[in-house]
Order: sequence, then structure tokens, then C-alpha cells
Amino acid sequence: MKVSFLSESIQKRLSLLNHAVSAKSQLPVLLNFLIETSDGKLKISATDLEIGIEIYIPTTIEEEGGITVPAKVFTELINSLPVGKITLQTEGGSLKVISSRSESIFQTISQEDFPKLYQQKGDKIAEISVKDLHDEFLKVVFAASLDIARPALTGVLMKKEETGFLLVATDGYRLSLKHYKAESVSNLENGASFLIPSRLIKEVIGLKGEDGPVILYTAKESNQVVFEQKDVLIVGRLIEAEFPSYERILPEDFATRVIFDRGEFQSAVKTSAIFARETANIIKVSAQKDKLVLSANTPSVGSNSVEIEVKQSGEENEIAFNARYVLDMLSIITENEMVFEMTGPLNPGVFKIASDPSYLHIIMPIRIQTEK
Amino acid sequence: MRKKEIDLVLSLDKKLSTSLNCLLPLTALVLFFRKSYMEKDQKKLWENILASLETEISRANFLTLFRNTSIISLDQDSITIAAQSSMIIDLIQKRFLDTLTKTIAQHVGHPVQILFIPKIVSTVQPEDDDSPLFAQEIIRTKLPIGHLPRVRPDFTFQNIAVSSSNQLAFVSATTVAKNPGSSYNPLFIYGPTGVGKTHLMQAIANEVYSQDPNRKIIYTTSEEFTNEVVEAIRSNQTQNMKKRFRNAALLIIDDVQFLAGKDKVQEELFHTFNILMDHGAQIVLSSDRPPHEIKKLEARLSSRFSGGLTVDVEEPDFELKTAILLIKAKKFGVDLPINVAKIIAESVTDTRTLEGVLLRVITEASSMEGEITEQIATRALNGKKPEQNHFHADDIIKSVCEYYDVKPTQIKGPKRDASLVRARQIIMYLLKTELKLPLVEIGNALGGRDHTTIMYGVEKMGKLVLTDERLHEEIMGITKTVRG
Repeated sequence: MKVSFLSESIQKRLSLLNHAVSAKSQLPVLLNFLIETSDGKLKISATDLEIGIEIYIPTTIEEEGGITVPAKVFTELINSLPVGKITLQTEGGSLKVISSRSESIFQTISQEDFPKLYQQKGDKIAEISVKDLHDEFLKVVFAASLDIARPALTGVLMKKEETGFLLVATDGYRLSLKHYKAESVSNLENGASFLIPSRLIKEVIGLKGEDGPVILYTAKESNQVVFEQKDVLIVGRLIEAEFPSYERILPEDFATRVIFDRGEFQSAVKTSAIFARETANIIKVSAQKDKLVLSANTPSVGSNSVEIEVKQSGEENEIAFNARYVLDMLSIITENEMVFEMTGPLNPGVFKIASDPSYLHIIMPIRIQTEK
Repeated sequence: MRKKEIDLVLSLDKKLSTSLNCLLPLTALVLFFRKSYMEKDQKKLWENILASLETEISRANFLTLFRNTSIISLDQDSITIAAQSSMIIDLIQKRFLDTLTKTIAQHVGHPVQILFIPKIVSTVQPEDDDSPLFAQEIIRTKLPIGHLPRVRPDFTFQNIAVSSSNQLAFVSATTVAKNPGSSYNPLFIYGPTGVGKTHLMQAIANEVYSQDPNRKIIYTTSEEFTNEVVEAIRSNQTQNMKKRFRNAALLIIDDVQFLAGKDKVQEELFHTFNILMDHGAQIVLSSDRPPHEIKKLEARLSSRFSGGLTVDVEEPDFELKTAILLIKAKKFGVDLPINVAKIIAESVTDTRTLEGVLLRVITEASSMEGEITEQIATRALNGKKPEQNHFHADDIIKSVCEYYDVKPTQIKGPKRDASLVRARQIIMYLLKTELKLPLVEIGNALGGRDHTTIMYGVEKMGKLVLTDERLHEEIMGITKTVRG
């Protein structure tokens, strides 16, 4: 193989590839990038066997071929090189990296040892703009669980609806739901659904906006899912597990409704949470007439209470949350006016965006003993 | 299902096992024999294969590629193996297919074709979700608080004291709760105040709720129902209200006698009633008297109320009252001696007062930091004299005479016409049960009859009233008029 390209066309892009390189991998080849020529471009791939990422780089190819090199060192080297032309050339079992003023030689592993990331991309499901990924997917994906012992909860459910997709994620303590209006959707049946690993979606959300929309492919028979944007391709595996029946926990009714300003609420939660650090982050939220009172106390430290003005309707009510969950949610939402609805101290609290009825976030309250 | 599986394996066969010969027809055929291998044996077999493999290949390769594999199926000619991703499958096929084929052949006894499926076979059982958000039902079943507005969670069938006075009502209520909509519909419970009608009805609600919290259960009183109808009419939102009531799977309305005279509300209830019955929803109603005795209730409604099962709950007898006291005391966490319970039960008639007296006894005992003794009970009871009857023997005689259209003189006279005898015996019975008059006194009031005659009459009516629905209703009606 002998190829050459400009350093700036590759430098910033290798970090994304490194997301798919697991330092813990026991197989040496998985610590490597696969570098190969493909359809007139240079393709660099990485995988940890769970997800795989490929990028394509415009290249002048003098000789076709492929090789794998240690990912970390290769990235470091490339990023240290000055602007200009870089040439890669295989020589026996090694790879030469030649820049204007340096020449480095890598030990390599044969490309034969590197796993193939996918056979075919599968069926095109949807075209998603990066803006939508930020505005819609981001509001859902953070609620997914990281605990791999429960595969279903580590995914984001994408369920085809009339106008797009319903996105749901939950870790069993909180749940995010969004009706996403997709601009371009294949002719999937309504109700068809996929469970996409949240890790994959987080990677996709990190893609840059200027490179156009992201296309989603799935291949049901091999449980494969591919996100492709211009010359980046992220591959993973659909989760094959029953997603919990989220429909039944969506509250239909509420006894108390509060309209609040996100910024004010967020800073109140932060203030209150200071006194909740040693008590499992438990903050109490009490909805009273035209105000929300947040309070927390740690017996050994002290207690506080923070008040914010809100528009309250319905009964006065009280509920306790893990502040972390509340802050997770508040930090992702950008809209200012939000709505909080609850039924009772033991029923999940529902957060909504005032201007966007297609979104809701549910948090399970913490049961607290009232000291009396 | 089976068809689908075959398709899946076949398509994978094409795509993934490229290095193997295409054995499509055989694969399909062979799948039919697959079940002959027990799943457990297969698992064991795969474990053994993995153990052998572990010695053959490097540890890194084994851990990365094979650790999370599992066997999906095995039959005469092929084995299907699940690995976590197609990349893993690719690596296995590239590097270890020969080793794997050999090892499997050793264990199975002959060469078999290897098929791969990218699939995570979870070893733990995560799907029965116990995370709080999805375990809510369990929490709800334990503590059906709040979710049933206006229903007290502690009003369950478990803590109802049952005796002959409320047994029929209890049994019908539990039957209805078990099979809402399909046994007695509507269930109409009536009886005087403080006998536990509300407890029974709320127990139905709680029971149905604990079986399936998703069912729409509405518990309301006729007053609240009225308010809701009025409010809906006022704010022009009758649609919402109609929807709310007409989607219920269980509608319970307490004290329907208060609907008397409210025509618009009755009309609304009439329509709701019909729709719910059509949908097979259960309806439970309560009142202080049977449907046809409720005045100013439209005939069509009254007949619908009586269309299912009408049961009554009587005043609790002495034993039941004692039992209730013991149950309530237990609820308050107090050890109530049975003799004290008896004393209280003797001197109090209705159950609400019972609770009041019990509380007084408990507070009094605790303020003296002592146990509950008979003395304390008697003292507490002295504060509250046994209820005075506001009516007199003559009132009863008068009411009964009016009811049966006979003259008091005839009653007191010697004539023994059947109609007179019945009225006379009802009077005896009422004087005994309502006023607790001694037999001799009753005899005197009825024109100097012998106390054995009275005893016979009271006993006869006492028995009859349990079996004769009509008589029972008559007596209920009479006591109503006596009490005003």
C-alpha cells in the first residue's frame, strides 16, 4: 500500500475513531486501526467488537493495500505532524509514515486479523439531521442505563409513528420520551421498533453538523445498525431484548401542576443539593401556592430550603427526588419554560417543556419518612 | 415462530457461513429434529466445548471471542451459536473456524455445520423488571394510596368483621370484587348508618385496584357526583365529565338516596348507568334503604338499581360489635381485653360511636399510664350514656298500625285475624329489638298479653326477618318512619 493525504484532512478525525478502541482489549489487533484503500479513498476503521467506526479520507493512491497499526501511537504521531502532505507506505511487515520532515516506522498486524465491521449496511430507515440529533435524541438518550446486566435498559427505543419516531429511554428510575418528527423516513410499518444502544447514539450525536444529515440503516437479520454521515460510518448491534412496557407508567392525570423557569429551578436544585450530598442527593420539592420550596438536610451538616416563584395549580403537594436525576434532565433541556406535574409523593413526577408537548421526562420519587 | 427461525438461520447461513457448503434444504429439514436434544444438555455440551477450546487457543482470544457465546440449537447436522456481534463472528470465522469445527466434532461425535447468529444471550434474568419505575405496580398493590381518590387504603376485605348481620353483603361484595362486571351487576348495598356499607364498597375498590391498577375505578358519593354534574353543566364541560364516568371499569356511588329529587343528575346517572352496563363495567351503589323506597327517584332508575343484586347490611349484633372493637384496637396498636370490649359493645349500638368510645377508653387509659381495665371503660362510657331512644312504644305501635292500615285498638284487642297477628308480632319484635323493653312490659303495651306470647312473637319475627325479604323491607321501612 502506498497512499498520501493532507495532514489536516485526518488530524481532528482520529479522536472519534479512538472512541471505538478499547484500552482493555486483550486482543492486540483491536488496539489497532485498520488502514486500507477503498474505492479511491483511504478508509480507517476501529472496533471494540461492540461498536465499530470507519472514516474515509480523500487520498492519492499509488498502490492499493491495507494494514493495521497501533491506534494510540498512530493518533499521537499524526496529530504532532505539521500541516502538509503525509505518505503511508507498507514495507514488509511495517508501515512507514513520511511527512515533510519526519519518517516513522510502525510495527503492524496483518489486516486479515481485523474483524469486518459489517457485510451490508442494511435497509435505510431514516435520515436525521444533526440538529435533530441534538434537539431530540439528546433529550432522551441520557436517561438510558449504563448497566449492561440489563441490556434492554441500555438502549433507546425507536418506534415508528405516523410522523416519525417515538424515542424512549429509561434506566428504571427515570424515563425520557420524545415524539420525533422525522423529515425523511422509509416506508416502515407504524409500530416497527428498534432498540439502539445508547452508546451508539451518543457517538452519533457527537458528529458535526456541517457534514449533512445522518442516515440510519438497520439489518434486522444480523441485528445490525449503521449510522452514516458523509464519510463517517458508525456500526453497532441492535439490542435484542424486550423493552419495558413504558406505556403503562406514563401518568394520565395529575393532581398538581407547576409552571416554572428552568434556570431558576436549576440553580435552586443546585443550591439545595449541597445539603444533600451525604444523604443520597435527596431533595424535597414542595409545591405550594405560587411557589416551589426545595429543601435538603444532612444531619451532620445542616439543612437549607430554597424558594422559587412558580405558577401552581391543583393541590399542594410534596415529593422527593434524587437531585442528580433532576439536574441531568435540566442540564440537557434548553427551553426556559417548563412544567412539572405530580399526583402524589409516591408517584412519578413528570417534567415537560411548556412549548413542546412531544417531550416528557419522568422521575421516580424517593420515598422519605416524614419525621414527626 | 418456527418458520421465522428457519428463515433467520437460512439467511444467516447465506451471509455468514460463506466458507461452508450451502446446505439449505438439509438445514431446514434438520431443524425439525432439533428439539430432540434437551436444551439443558445442549448448554452442558457447549460448556464442555468451550472448556476444550480454552486449552486450544490463547487466553486473550478465548476471553474476547468465546466467553460470551452460547448455544442456540443443535441437531443432527448443524449447530447454531450466538455471539455478541457480527464483528466477533467475523473474527471467529476468520481465525478459529477449523479449531472450532474440530472441537465440536469431537464432542458431538461427528462433523456438523456451524451457523452463527449475532445475538446477546443474557445469562441474568433482567427482564422481570424490578427497577422502581416499573415496579410501581408492586408498590401500588402493597399501598394503594392516593391513586384511588377518596378511598381509604385501610378499608379492605381483610379487616372487615363478618357476622350474620353482614355476611350476605360481604360475600356478594367479595364476589363482585373478584369478577367485576360479571357476577352481580349492579350490586346495591343498603342498610342503616354505621354498619359498614362504605367499608365494603371501598374494599371492593381496593381489591379491584390491587388486581389491576390500570383499571379505571371511580369511587364517589352521590353528593360529589351531583357536584360534578352541576359543575360540568355550569362550565359547559359535560363532555369531559361524561367521558370520565363512562370510561370507568368500576363505578361506585355511595349514598344514592341523596340523588332524590335531582332530576338532571338522575338523568345523567341513568345514561351513564346504561353505557357502563353495556360495556360490562361493574356498578356498586349504596343507600340507607332499598331502591324502591327511595322517594323522588325516577322509576326507570330505581328499577335499574334493583336489576342486579340488592343486599342489606343490618345493625351489628353484639358479637360483631365486640369483634369490630378488637379489630379497631389492634389497628391502634392497643391490646384490648375481651371483657372490656364486651362492656363497650353492650352499651353502644352503632359502629361509628363504637370507634369514638374506644378512642376515649384508649386515651383515658394512656393518660393514666395503665392498662385498659373495665373500670376505665365504664368511666368512659359514663361520659356517654347509652343512647336514649327518642321514641316511645306508642310511636312504634302507631307506625306499624299506619303501615298496615289497622287500628291500635284492634292491635290491643283480642282478635286474631292473620293480618292483625302479623302486625302485632312485628310490634313485639320492634319493641324488643328497638326499645329493648322487657317481655312483660311489651305484653302490657299490647293489651295485657302473656310474656310467653310475646316471646313467641319476637322469636318468630326474628327468624322470619332473616329469610323473608319482604318482611325485612317492611320492618326497615317502619323503623325509618319511627325514627323520622
